[in-house]
Formats: sequence, structure tokens, C-alpha cells
Amino acid sequence: MSVLTNILQKKSTISPLQAAGLFILLAALLIVPTFSGMTTVTLFSRIFILAIFGMSYDILRGYTGIINLGHALFFGGGTYIAGILFNRIGPTLDVLLLAIVIALAFSAVIAYVMGQFAFRGTGFSGVIACAMITLAFGEIVRHTAETFREFTQGADGLTFRIPEIFQDRLMMYYYALLFMIIMTIILRQFVNSPTGRVLQAVRDNEQRARFLGYDTKKYKLIALVVAGMASALAGIMFALLTRFANTELLTVQSTLNALLYTIVGGTGTLYGAIIGTGFVQLAQNYLLELRGVHEIFSRWLIFFGAIYVLVVLYMPRGVIGAYYQLLASRQKRRKTE
Amino acid sequence: MNILAMLLINGLAEGALIFLMAAGLSIILGLLGVVNFTHGTLFIWGGYVSIWVFSLFGNFFIALAAAIIAGFLMGLVFERLFVRQVYGNVTAQILITLGLMTIFTDMVRLLWGPNPIPADRPEFMDGTWIAGGVIISQYRVFLIVVGILVAIGINYLINRTRIGMIMRAGTQSPDMVQAMGINIKVYFSGVFAGGAALAALGGALYVPLVGSVWSGMGIHNQILAFIVVILGGMGSFYGSAVGSIIIGLTVALVSWFYPPLTVYSTVLLLILVLSLKPEGLFGTAVRS
Repeated sequence: MSVLTNILQKKSTISPLQAAGLFILLAALLIVPTFSGMTTVTLFSRIFILAIFGMSYDILRGYTGIINLGHALFFGGGTYIAGILFNRIGPTLDVLLLAIVIALAFSAVIAYVMGQFAFRGTGFSGVIACAMITLAFGEIVRHTAETFREFTQGADGLTFRIPEIFQDRLMMYYYALLFMIIMTIILRQFVNSPTGRVLQAVRDNEQRARFLGYDTKKYKLIALVVAGMASALAGIMFALLTRFANTELLTVQSTLNALLYTIVGGTGTLYGAIIGTGFVQLAQNYLLELRGVHEIFSRWLIFFGAIYVLVVLYMPRGVIGAYYQLLASRQKRRKTE
Repeated sequence: MNILAMLLINGLAEGALIFLMAAGLSIILGLLGVVNFTHGTLFIWGGYVSIWVFSLFGNFFIALAAAIIAGFLMGLVFERLFVRQVYGNVTAQILITLGLMTIFTDMVRLLWGPNPIPADRPEFMDGTWIAGGVIISQYRVFLIVVGILVAIGINYLINRTRIGMIMRAGTQSPDMVQAMGINIKVYFSGVFAGGAALAALGGALYVPLVGSVWSGMGIHNQILAFIVVILGGMGSFYGSAVGSIIIGLTVALVSWFYPPLTVYSTVLLLILVLSLKPEGLFGTAVRS
């Protein structure tokens, strides 16, 4: 009981040390482009955008305890909506605004409908049913994208032009960084809000939260809608970065990417997604460079799966969790000395 | 009328294939409380191993046996090394089986290449019968027979034998069974590996039906099997049998009249059933 009320009432603040750390990190990121090549700049932009995709998953997995295997449909949906509108109407800022509005509406509606069916059960079988039903929803959207080739070009992929101000790679880096910062602040506000506190209560003990009078299904729906909208926005940013969309974005693999970002970094932390995305993307890049050494290094997915299994088994709380554990054990040692 | 009879056979054959997947999933879920996302991957491995062995020996039944053995061994490894460590933790189970799914699906592409490989039906079953103006594919009849035999066999194993009794007792209270001097962990491994072998058999039988094997066929069939498992009621063996027939017939019917709707129809059916009966057709509580 006290744990629950603690979670419900806990205020979160940033200590001066953390603030200083954040400031230094931000300053470093701001000057990265001045002494690195375009490849690095694009890679970092990619990390910033995908981090929000991962973070949106953290709201589900880390803060609410939901496993959504169709989450890619929001991200890929955002990318496709932007791409199709740019192609059909034209690559202007007005169209971008339209794409944002449509993508937000699309993800909110789909999330609501999906949640209605996915969150029927509770407890053990509820989690399983949720995973299976969301998987089916994700596959339906992927299938739809592959069927309506006229709009999406199917598996070949859709190329499109983007508004002029996003065409400069260097500026895109700053837009992506800004996007990540703004979204992080918004999502942080959300998870620390009273609603966010209830989500954590649902994660820790859904039955108890329900007995306290919370309509847990409603709160799960809220989490899914917010996460869906956030990842749709990340999808639009991804469209601006890559100027390309294919159905790969909508596959289960794409969802698993987001899941891996959060579990590597540490679930239930939000920031973990940034660390996780950075780690996974850099590892992928590094391994692909080793392709010349041995053919096995081009099979990224095998490494992906291996990292994934190892993290789940041996580091279930991710990098941030391991860090806190280290701090705690150090403090304990100090106390005993 | 002729079309209906043909669709009935097609649907039942399709249902029998889905059943091989869904039965394994359902048994693993019902007895071990584990949701196994590697099932589609085992399905693919069954398909690839069978055509590989078929190309070596040229015997369809040796190929099927090889697929079953491969599935069984993979299931054993998965359970022993990974799934066993996360019993009781649903989220970790889902995550870890998803990771294995990724690794072993890509392993197929590494070993056999990314492109589909064509596969022929065994010659002695390639023919058709004509009965009352209806063309009946022998292979589909064979699938239906296999499905029925597997259903009867599993039902007998679980409900009529000592092994089945121990498994059911182990589901209720593993510690008690262990205390009576029976190593329940071996039985759990056996259940998991048995379910895996069924999935591999399903894959091996699926390949000759569609005429080729490719790495993407797993996820599609896995989703169908999931739909069956939820539709029939999670953990219910009868539910998965009835669900397989329903989904098989739906797929056959819709793909005959309007193919683009096939994928949607199964999910719509699931949604319909869940709105009327949230726990599925034969749903009971799953082990928690």
C-alpha cells in the first residue's frame, strides 16, 4: 500500500549535479557537427528521432506494463502519412502541418480502437492476449500498406521530396535534437503527472489500482494513445530525415527495435531510451563496418537478437538500472565501513 | 454446390495446418503458462529442414521426420537454456521468445538465402480424385487426416496416459509432483519440445501445399495460430481445435471469393467473438 501511495505522490526533481550533467551533454551535442563528418551527423539525427520512438514504447512497457507488438504501426504510419501527403500535394510546410494533424488523429483513433480490444483481460492472460492482439493489428496495417501499392509503392518503398528547410543535413541535426528535447520534456511531464502516477500503479499492481477506484483500462488507453501520438510524430521526423518509407517500418521487427532501445537503456526511465537507441544504433553501425572481416557481421538481426536475449536475461533493468544498482551497492558498502 | 464442397475440403486442410501450430501453442500455454513467440520460427525451420532433407534423400516421410526432430531439438534448447529461466515472468517470456524468433529467423536467411525456394509435392500425393464432380486434392485430404490423427493423439496423451497425468498434475502443483519423486522439469521440457515439434511438422506440411518456402511465412502463420488460440480460449485444447476449423474455413471461403480481405476477415472474426465472449469460445483460466 505505501509503495503505491509513494508512487502516486512522489514528486520528481532534478538534482543540481544531474542538471550540470545534462547541460554538459547538451553543449557537447550542440557542437558535435562542427568536428564530425556528415555520416556522423546523420547517424546522430537518426538516434535523436528513434530515441523518441523508443521513449514512446517506454511509456507502455516501462510505465504501464503493456507489451504492444504493433507499436510500429504508429511510427511507420507517421512516416507514410508524411510521405504520401508530400507526394500527392507537395513538399511544403503547410503540408507538413497537415501531416502532423492527420498523423496525430490517425494514431489517436487507431490506439483507441486497438486498446478497446487489447485491454480486455487483466493479469496474466491479459498480458498475453494484449501482445497477440496488438501483433495482429500491426500486421493488418503492414498488410494494408503492402496492398495499396498505388499510394505506398508496396515493398519497393516510397521516395518523396521534403520541404526545403529540412533538406540541409546540418540543420536537420538541430531540428532532430530540438525535437528530442521537446518531446522528452513533454513525455516527462506526462509520466510525472497524476495520470502518469496512476499508470505506474497499474504497472505495479493492476488489481490494487482497480480496487482503489481507478478505471485501469481507461488509463491504459490513455497511455497507448499518448505513446501512439508520440511515435507518430517521431515517424514524421524520420520521414524528414530519410525521405523514404517502406513497409519494413511497419513490421514486428520495427516494433522490436523500439522495445530493444528501451530495455537496453532501462525501462521506466524515459532517458534510458536515448541511451539504448544510441547504443543499439552505434553497435549496428560498428558491426556493419566489420562486414569486410567476416560475412556474419552483415547479419545484424542475429546480433540484435543476441543482445536482446542477453539483456532480458542478465540486465533486465538496462544500463540505467545497472548504474543505479552499482550506486546502491557502493552506498551500502560505505555505510558498513 | 461443387464449389462449396471444394471450399470445405480446402478450409479443413487449412484448418488442419493451423491446428498443428495452434495445438503446440495452446499446450505450451495451457500446461506451462508460457506464450511462445518462437513458434513461427520453428514453423519456418520445419519447412526448410524438410526440403533440405528431401533434396538429400528424396523421401517425403524422412523429410517430415527430420523436420519433427529438428523442431523437437530446437524446442529443447530453447526451453533448457532460455525459457526455463523466466518461468512465471510473462513479460520476460514474451521478450525472450521474441529475441529467439529474431535470431533464428535470420539464421534461416543466413543458411538458405533470402529468396523463396520452390518445393514440389510428393508425387504419390500430387494427384486429385473426382467424386460427384468435385475435384479433391489428395494432398489436402492427407493434411486433414494428419490433423485429425494429431488431435486424437494429443488428446489421448494428455487425458489417458500416465505422462499426461503427470503433466496435468505438474501444472497444478509442480513442487508437489517433484516431491513425489518425479522430475517435473523433464516433463516441462518435453511439453515445450513437443509443441515445437508440432510447429515444425506444420511448416514441413505447409511447404508442399503452397509450393515454396520463404522466411516470411512464419509470422503470418504464427498470427493465424495466435488468433485461433485467443478465439478458442487461451490454453484450451478443444478451443484450439474448434478455432482452427473455424479460421481455416473462413480463410478458404474469403480467399476464394475476395482474396484481399483474407487477412482482415480473420481478425474481424476474432474481434466479433471477443466482443460476444471475452474469454474466447472455450476459455477457462490459464495457469498463472
